[in-house]
Amino acid sequence: MERTPPSNIEALRALQEQMDAAVQAFATDQHPVSDLLQQMVSDVERAMQEPLEIIPVCHHSPSSALHVAKRLSERPPKVIFMELCEDLRGSLDGLRDCRLPVALQAFAQTADAFPKGWSPLSVVAPLSEFSAEFQAIAYALEHPGTELVFVDRAVDYVFQWMPQQEDELEKHLIKEEEHDQGTPKAPGEEDLSDVPDHGAAIGLQMGNVEPTFDVFLGFLLKNARVRHFTEWWDQYVEQAVLAADYATYRYVLSLVGSLLRRLGRKDTDRENDLRRERYMWTRMKEHLKKTGIAPSDAIYLCGAVHAVSDVPEFGTRTDAVWEIPKRTPTKWLYGLVPSSYIAIEHQFHHPAGTVAIAETTWEKGIEALGVRPWKLGKTKSSAATSATKTKGKPAIVPATPPASGTADTARVLGFFTKPPLLHAADEEQLLKWSVDIVTLARDNGYLTSTADAIAIYQTSILLANLRNRQHPSPYDFEDAAITCLEKDRQVRKRNVPKLCQLLLGGNRTGKVGFSALPPLAQDVYTRLKPLGINLEATTIQRALIDFKKDPHLLPCSDLLWMLHYLTQGHPVLRPIMGERKLGHVPVQESWDVSIGKYQESIIRLGYEGVNVEFVVEKRLKTESFGPNAKTVTALKAAEDSILFLKSTRLTEELGDRAVDLLRNEMSAQDAPKIVERVRRLVHYYRATPSGLPKWLKDFVATGYSHYSMLLPKGFEDRGTRPAEVASMLCFVFDFEPQALALGCQRSQLEIAIRQAGPVTNDPAKIGLLWASELLLKLRDIDSIRAFLDQTLDNPLMLPVFPEYVSGFLLALAFAPVMGRVVVELLSKAFAKLPEEILYPWLPGLLLSLRPYAEDLLPRLLKDVNGLFPKDTKALGKWQPPWDKKASEAATPASASSTPGANPEVTPAQDTKAAVTPEEQAVMTLLQSAPVTAQSLAALLSA
Amino acid sequence: MATPRTKKTKSDDTSAAATSAAPATAETATDAATVPAATPASTSTETTSGAAAEFPIPVKAETPSATPSATPVPTPSAAAAPAKKKVEVLRQPAEVKYAEELVYLSSIDTGKRPFSWKLSPRMIRTFILGSTPADKIERPIAQKFFGDPALVERAIVTLASDRGLLLIGDPGTGKSWLAELLAAAICGSSTHTVQGTAGTTEDQLKYSWNVALVIAKGQSRESLIPSPIMIAMQQAALGRIEELTRCTSDVQDALISILSEKYITIPELSGDNVVFARPGFNIIATANSRDRGVNDLSTALKRRFNFVTIPTVTNKKSEKEIVLFRTRELLTRNQFEVELPPALLDILLQTFADLRDAQAAASSDDQRLESSLSTAEQIGVLEDAVLHSQFFGQTALSAANVAKAVVGTVVRRIPEEVSILSKFWHSVVEKRAKEKKGEWDEYLEGGKQAMSLLK
Repeated sequence: MERTPPSNIEALRALQEQMDAAVQAFATDQHPVSDLLQQMVSDVERAMQEPLEIIPVCHHSPSSALHVAKRLSERPPKVIFMELCEDLRGSLDGLRDCRLPVALQAFAQTADAFPKGWSPLSVVAPLSEFSAEFQAIAYALEHPGTELVFVDRAVDYVFQWMPQQEDELEKHLIKEEEHDQGTPKAPGEEDLSDVPDHGAAIGLQMGNVEPTFDVFLGFLLKNARVRHFTEWWDQYVEQAVLAADYATYRYVLSLVGSLLRRLGRKDTDRENDLRRERYMWTRMKEHLKKTGIAPSDAIYLCGAVHAVSDVPEFGTRTDAVWEIPKRTPTKWLYGLVPSSYIAIEHQFHHPAGTVAIAETTWEKGIEALGVRPWKLGKTKSSAATSATKTKGKPAIVPATPPASGTADTARVLGFFTKPPLLHAADEEQLLKWSVDIVTLARDNGYLTSTADAIAIYQTSILLANLRNRQHPSPYDFEDAAITCLEKDRQVRKRNVPKLCQLLLGGNRTGKVGFSALPPLAQDVYTRLKPLGINLEATTIQRALIDFKKDPHLLPCSDLLWMLHYLTQGHPVLRPIMGERKLGHVPVQESWDVSIGKYQESIIRLGYEGVNVEFVVEKRLKTESFGPNAKTVTALKAAEDSILFLKSTRLTEELGDRAVDLLRNEMSAQDAPKIVERVRRLVHYYRATPSGLPKWLKDFVATGYSHYSMLLPKGFEDRGTRPAEVASMLCFVFDFEPQALALGCQRSQLEIAIRQAGPVTNDPAKIGLLWASELLLKLRDIDSIRAFLDQTLDNPLMLPVFPEYVSGFLLALAFAPVMGRVVVELLSKAFAKLPEEILYPWLPGLLLSLRPYAEDLLPRLLKDVNGLFPKDTKALGKWQPPWDKKASEAATPASASSTPGANPEVTPAQDTKAAVTPEEQAVMTLLQSAPVTAQSLAALLSA
Repeated sequence: MATPRTKKTKSDDTSAAATSAAPATAETATDAATVPAATPASTSTETTSGAAAEFPIPVKAETPSATPSATPVPTPSAAAAPAKKKVEVLRQPAEVKYAEELVYLSSIDTGKRPFSWKLSPRMIRTFILGSTPADKIERPIAQKFFGDPALVERAIVTLASDRGLLLIGDPGTGKSWLAELLAAAICGSSTHTVQGTAGTTEDQLKYSWNVALVIAKGQSRESLIPSPIMIAMQQAALGRIEELTRCTSDVQDALISILSEKYITIPELSGDNVVFARPGFNIIATANSRDRGVNDLSTALKRRFNFVTIPTVTNKKSEKEIVLFRTRELLTRNQFEVELPPALLDILLQTFADLRDAQAAASSDDQRLESSLSTAEQIGVLEDAVLHSQFFGQTALSAANVAKAVVGTVVRRIPEEVSILSKFWHSVVEKRAKEKKGEWDEYLEGGKQAMSLLK
């Protein structure tokens, strides 16, 4: 125990005396305060005397990282215990290949043990280079002789120890806003939609010391005159211990940890802390016992708050262990996801720029103190990871300064609280910042000049003086820049606070290396290689594919479409040109690919399966076999399976499911969508050599009889919209030939229509009904015409006329022959309807015509062309054919010679206008055999 | 505003952030007499310019012509002189009101003071933001401005630098109050003020002539009437310009040379025609962010000012503090004590918070109220309610009275705003009343009644 020399105890005693003196001077009621101080001192003493070396750390604290790095090179331990979830340890091996910051992730798609609203469960633990945990991890991974053990509670307990309520997780994620109220929101906070974040994951960080007890935090900040805890930490702890010696560092951090532990934690958090500490000590003791390593050969890295724990299990001198509760049966998956500074700040509610500032301090510290940070050597090839570990070692060792040298430096540095080395570096840095921010601001539209640089420099120093700092901190600099540069409005996209963050390091996005990726993501990378784009780049990559020139790129396109389907509109993949439709043969495609930037979305897919095809299949199945599945979703899944997977077996399975669902679906709500899809599928399969597959035939047959059955109810039920009834009819009439071939009977439909007759009241539905009756020859056109004319003549019935017309319009979808009738009705409507009825109806009419724009309207227009005169001259003499027909019925001889008139009237026409002898002869022949003539006419008209 | 409010000075009306723990009344002669010459309580020069003259501070106003133009520095005798003529004033400027505190802070101040500042920057911050145990100051210093401390720090630092300070913000956010506090703490006089209006002329920023004297004796330093800004330059004090953006652009631009060259030339005089600013002179201007676009500052002027934006207080806790302290202070001035039931205060704060939400959600200006719904308005509401219940009611403050005051304060345009408020009242307030009952019910009824009378 050479590292606890008596002088340290002396120092501690001196500190205690000083504290007591302070109590005497300031406290009104000194007992609680001195008790507290007593406790704090004993806390620290206990931590210091523990044979297992405890290194208290703080998250994102460069000084912690520096001290840990230095300590590890001075005194290589046999085992390092760390305050991180024990089950995250497994994913560390992939870390070599990653660019930091990345996050360790644990993920569970579903968890029955927890409230339903919680799933999917996700936990992330971000790692950045300048954190103590990464230094330890890097050291341990480079030195196979040192074991690295995570001892904190498994991820499962994170959720287990939360109150098991539906909204708890949400509350936890949001955190009360009160917390942030004191700090002014930076107006230019980065739009999070633009950067990869951790999603709805619970963040874990090692050495989280931030006080959660608001009253205490508020008091602390107010008295220290800082805005947020990180600033407080930076000024009062970080800067002070950065260049201090190791012993001082440990004392100070333990002391601060003790203070925060005793005053700064909420009761619920403290409870959780206690559980975790008991857990950690139990695990450590278990490990030591198992491996037989002496406690003095181990190092325990934990948050300052936990270093001074007072749980009964604390310390290797007692044998007390805690009986660890059971995990839930939740199945956890582990991996690495890329992270970014902004995501980290967002996750842990740090003010913007904190991480970048920490990085700056870290770099400054490395340079000024001569500490060599631990770095992970890159793997040469993913296969030879273990070999590289051992072989790479000699190459890395020279990078570490010899242990004795570092110790010397540490001792020397211990004499200075603020080495002059740092001061010069600070000064240089501030000057550089002042100049750079002005340039940066000018580039962003601010009218700035050198005078501003001078003003910023001066203001920073004044602010630092005012805030009792030896040298302007980055926070001071930022304030100064805002004061001097920000005028009444922001010029362009970025404002000065945002620019300052950019200047101080900005955001950095991590990247998970190939070997650390889950198999699915690796597979994606390999398979997209032929595209020849840089998948690692953080910018958007444009992939241009010409299938005529490079037919071998077709599989890439398939994969892209599958990923696009799986990520569902996520900006990771964006098709610019090209489509994937049934029967479509791609010629050219172009894609915007940003897998480098949104790596996480691909990695997340990796939790669902080993390759993309498998995940697509799984998704399709969950979609169509889920409890909420509907016919239309199953049909969609079946269609997608044709598009993406080309697996007949799966399509068959999904199709059968769709048939099942249809059989049990008693509403016609989805009928329009179903008709559309089935029509597409039938068209597609007709073009294939094998023709319609069995499931689709089944579907058509089932649909025919199912919808026939539903028809009467559809006509009667007020909740079923006419459009839905029309879709059902559409299905029935469209697929009638197939259905009849498959053994359905038309009589079923006829019965259904007959039944519907008496129960239909809705005018629009009556229109539909008559149209189908017309098709089935259950009604003739004249009776319809007579009824509608009557409607037009009766002023009381006039207002419902448009609705009848709407019904006939809908019928167009399945009975194109209705075109003429519709044209007639529309003409009548425009001719006779009074304006107050016509005008309100028009928008609705246009809307109901719009869906037919592609196929039916041209046909309708053709009919119109046939019926109406071609030029204005003819208009004068023109008489609508229907009027003509009516007058014809009265006096058959008075018909004029309108071209394109009904073939039915041709004989009558001939009687009047016959001039040639041939025609005369034909006429005589027809007249002599009236039965033949009439049946001929009927045939021609049909 | 259709409420019986006493006419107050501008800064009083808008200073949302003002509270006082120091004895506000009866500044006795002995108090002032003990003040050493260097302390801020000794304001000897009263300004003559129209706008600034509205501050009735208890000091003898020397005529400018009698002031020795070269060295108008206060002497000990001058400081003691006003104390003899004790006149009670409605509202004292900060340097008089907090004279004791300023003297105390100055006595314990060991920090470095820039130029001829009366206090070091750190002490000024303590003066404005109040002391904390960490400052190790024996005498408690109350917080006078509630807001982001960084904002105050930036303002102080700006004044120590080469640039002027422009405080910008919505009405009622405490801009003028902060300016007054800063001026009082830095140079011990906050009354070198020009009120910017559409009619402010360049003369009011620089100097004008005493026409009678010019006719009698010709143009000389004697017949010159210096503006408050010029006086500030000569005394190494802070000049204040209120509502800078209300002035027309040409008047604003007159400030450019003052801010960059730091002198004013008087071309009418043949010799001794430049007035130089002494070190320590600077300018604090305030501007209303609602006036944006009316008279925008020129780029040249913008460059010479550091902008500090004062946000509206939306933090409920600190808003409550402000309202409570400020109303108490105003009521002590009226010399009666009224208990403010916390429930009523919560109702009021909640209503304003809801109103702000509604205001933010409104899609067009027609659906918005003209009122800025600042903290200052809430103070006004409470004061109205208290006064009303004192003089016309049963002394105790009732929820109905508060509701009436809210209606009276918020509604500006009749009938448009009545209907906006009525909609708000019938949806939001009614809902709250259903949820919480108690005082809310009475409040709801009171508001409805008040609105029906307005129609």
